[in-house]
Amino acid sequence: MSAHDILFAALRRLCPDEEVPDAIAARAGALARAMQACLPPLEFPDLVENFVARVTAEKVGATVEVLAGWEHLPDAVARYALAQGLEQEVALQPDPRLLALDWGFVRDVPLKSDTMIAVGVARGGIAETGSLLFHSGPDAPTLYGFMPLHHIVALETRTIVARFEDYTAQEQGKPHPRNVNFITGASGTTDIEGVLARGAHGPRRLHILLIG
Amino acid sequence: MNADRGELAGTFKERARKALGDAHLRVALDRTTGNARTKRAAAVAAWPDFDRARAAAAAIKDHALQNFPYYLEQFERNALASGARLHWARDAKEACAAVIKICRETRAKTVTRSKSMLGEEIGLPHALAEAGVRRVETDLAEHIIQLAGETPSHIIWPAAHRTREDVSKLFEKHHRDHLLLTEVEAMVDSARRELRDDFFSADVGISGANFLVAETGAICTITNEGNAELTTTPPRVHIVTAGIEKIVATTEHALQLTRVLVRSATGADLTQYTTFHCGPKRAGDLDGPEEFHIVLVDHGRTQMLEDMPEMLRCLRCGACLNHCVVYRKIGGHAYGGAYPGPMGSAITPVFDGLEPSRDLPHACTLNGHCKQVCPVDIPLPTILRDWRAKSYRQGFESRAVRLGLALWAFIASKPALYRAALAVALPLLRRRGKDGWISALPFAPGWTESRDFPAPPEKTFLARIASGEEA
Amino acid sequence: MVQNVHPGGPRVGLFATCLVDMLRPNIGFSALELLRAAGCTVEIPKTQTCCGQPAYNSGDDASARKLARQVIEIFEGFDYLVAPSGSCAATIRVHYPDLFRAEPAMRARAEKLSAKTWELLSFLVDVRGFAPTGVSCKASATYHDTCSGLRELGIKTQPRALLSAIEGLEMRALEGEETCCGFGGTFCVKYSEISDAIVTEKAENVVATGADLLLGGDLGCLLNMAGKLRRAGAPIRVFHAAELLAGRAIHAIGEEKP
Repeated sequence: MSAHDILFAALRRLCPDEEVPDAIAARAGALARAMQACLPPLEFPDLVENFVARVTAEKVGATVEVLAGWEHLPDAVARYALAQGLEQEVALQPDPRLLALDWGFVRDVPLKSDTMIAVGVARGGIAETGSLLFHSGPDAPTLYGFMPLHHIVALETRTIVARFEDYTAQEQGKPHPRNVNFITGASGTTDIEGVLARGAHGPRRLHILLIG
Repeated sequence: MNADRGELAGTFKERARKALGDAHLRVALDRTTGNARTKRAAAVAAWPDFDRARAAAAAIKDHALQNFPYYLEQFERNALASGARLHWARDAKEACAAVIKICRETRAKTVTRSKSMLGEEIGLPHALAEAGVRRVETDLAEHIIQLAGETPSHIIWPAAHRTREDVSKLFEKHHRDHLLLTEVEAMVDSARRELRDDFFSADVGISGANFLVAETGAICTITNEGNAELTTTPPRVHIVTAGIEKIVATTEHALQLTRVLVRSATGADLTQYTTFHCGPKRAGDLDGPEEFHIVLVDHGRTQMLEDMPEMLRCLRCGACLNHCVVYRKIGGHAYGGAYPGPMGSAITPVFDGLEPSRDLPHACTLNGHCKQVCPVDIPLPTILRDWRAKSYRQGFESRAVRLGLALWAFIASKPALYRAALAVALPLLRRRGKDGWISALPFAPGWTESRDFPAPPEKTFLARIASGEEA
Repeated sequence: MVQNVHPGGPRVGLFATCLVDMLRPNIGFSALELLRAAGCTVEIPKTQTCCGQPAYNSGDDASARKLARQVIEIFEGFDYLVAPSGSCAATIRVHYPDLFRAEPAMRARAEKLSAKTWELLSFLVDVRGFAPTGVSCKASATYHDTCSGLRELGIKTQPRALLSAIEGLEMRALEGEETCCGFGGTFCVKYSEISDAIVTEKAENVVATGADLLLGGDLGCLLNMAGKLRRAGAPIRVFHAAELLAGRAIHAIGEEKP
């Protein structure tokens, strides 16, 4: 017998009371709802307000700017670069919404291991934790969120949901992307004496441009 | 597996004694565990229903374990459909062999590795070294201990035994810039520069998994540094090593568990990076591994399912370590296994056998703080006490201890004899006292090495009651 | 058997515990007085010895069962078993039923006794709604929550509620009041060096309060802390909370000179 078969034989012996799949699924659903009945409270009833409060809280430590529309994005990126004393060059995530914009004097450069700024688009946000959500794909390579020192992310406010559970409900029955990333603030580590320091390997700064 | 390592040499008591004499270690442990306790307490205080959530989280894990073969099979089916390749390992040796085989087939010279306690448990660092594969640890703490040539001393903060001053010295010596740094931020920067190239030149990236999601076949990693994604995305091959108990039913369950896991570990609401990895690079993808392997490891899990199923709920948050009075005094290396603290004492006997590790379940005051802070309510004191009972039954306890307990039980079960014995013993003991205190006890020298013992009264409470004294 | 009849009050079997019996009778007398003041008929069965906790926690279940059976036989006829110790009460209340998991008949008896077993201070507050009257003590004190009482029996507010009724007593917060003192029964002898490191930190925190008195609800833990404080030369005096509540806090632990 293979390791696989030996293992399953042992598990079947030790878990003799297995139910039928429908009953198991019903039980799994009930358990998820039991957790939903005791969630941490949201500070603000308004999801966008709560999202902003979470991402800008000290332990998440991102910055937020609210924009009236996509067309204001290049200006906001240019201002950010200027304020940080960085060159006006960014690695643009190949998202059609970004590529369609007029970037003026901001240059689009390829993503490299020493890229200073990358600009991406989050697919959604989680108000409870201040998390940004990304699904990998041809227009959303994973590394845009990890390689640059500064990660600027556009997020449409209408895509912010309250909880993880709202996200999983939305995704029910849809194919799973290769990577699902929840990004909650800039990279950080507490590995030296439990003290938080930013920019361990991923971005040191996370700047969110909320498009309302 | 690591018996040759200096910090793991000797018996438990010898290692503990060495740790207790190390004032520097105490400073490091106090700083890390103190920060962790403060942050956890703040996070829990902000969640009024946290206790109910702990119970809900325990039920979610229990559900997966009660339907273990069903969900594991579902995971297998979905993972294979995603293009992942699965490898099953009964023990540490098979697990390491599976990883090494993939590395050889890939002709891997360098592997990057994102912290995984399972990797430590199965001795993967050692196995990679033996196979001649260069291993680059990318988690900052693992990087620190790799430079120091040590093993982790904490499951969340592997370098908990190292102060910032130690790290400064290590980086000055080993990093290519050889800078003397005093600020933690600058040290983090230095590690970032040092490890950057390896992320992109590695042939294989190895990670663990915090969850195996049955409904999707995805594996979930959670990190704060972003090193897991940088470890697993650029190389051609991503290998996941995971204990089978990481199985959960759904993505929803996995995310729900992160709520209690992360708060218990670092006090954050969520780790900075929570990623579900599902299969290799797809058509049109600009990045991602071409091969995605998952090594699923038993190594005692089926045994635990039989003997202490609650232990398989463990999310590896480290809260029980941070709140354990013993861990806080002796640190992780004294425990001698991959996992220290209360959870380590509960599972190390499964891996190493009870006889050589019998000190671990005994070196505990059974104060219950570990269970109180456990995000999935594992009855750690009960599990440790069960090990003691097993150790007693199997005859591993010393003759002196067995005799002492039997004698006490014999006398205490004969009230008249018990009274008579006390009537003789107490005045004798009382005579050893000076100013009301005894400074050397004949039968318990361990007590009076560091504490005084009050001289007993002439007569017991019951003797005084029997002689008619009312109050 | 000593009896004190309060018509209508519950019949309480006082389990002194072996440590109190041997080392600190004053706690037994304090418990007796407090229970009577709380309207109980108190009996002190003279065949009582030890609850079996040392054997239980050492993994010697057979010896533990032997002593548990004895405790059950002695105390099952009372309305309540009350003990001035969180850890002994928890052994009976929480662990006895488990000890007899393979013997249904004994298990049923253990469960019955478990349901009516109480630690003294929580019994006074939760069952009897008792508050001491006319007790005064001009001193500052700090309180250590002993682990078994705190985590296995939920004793936290009750001792503080009782102590707040003592006139002139100023309570001071103890840093790490819920952190184990390092006693752990046989642990403190088997792993004495680790135990010493733990109780050293505890003693430092106690001294830092600047309080005159250290109080608690478990003699084992109090002996550990008192012994360390004495060795360290700290003048803080150590009592079981019941001694203060009964107005019997005259000689602290180690002060009864021959």
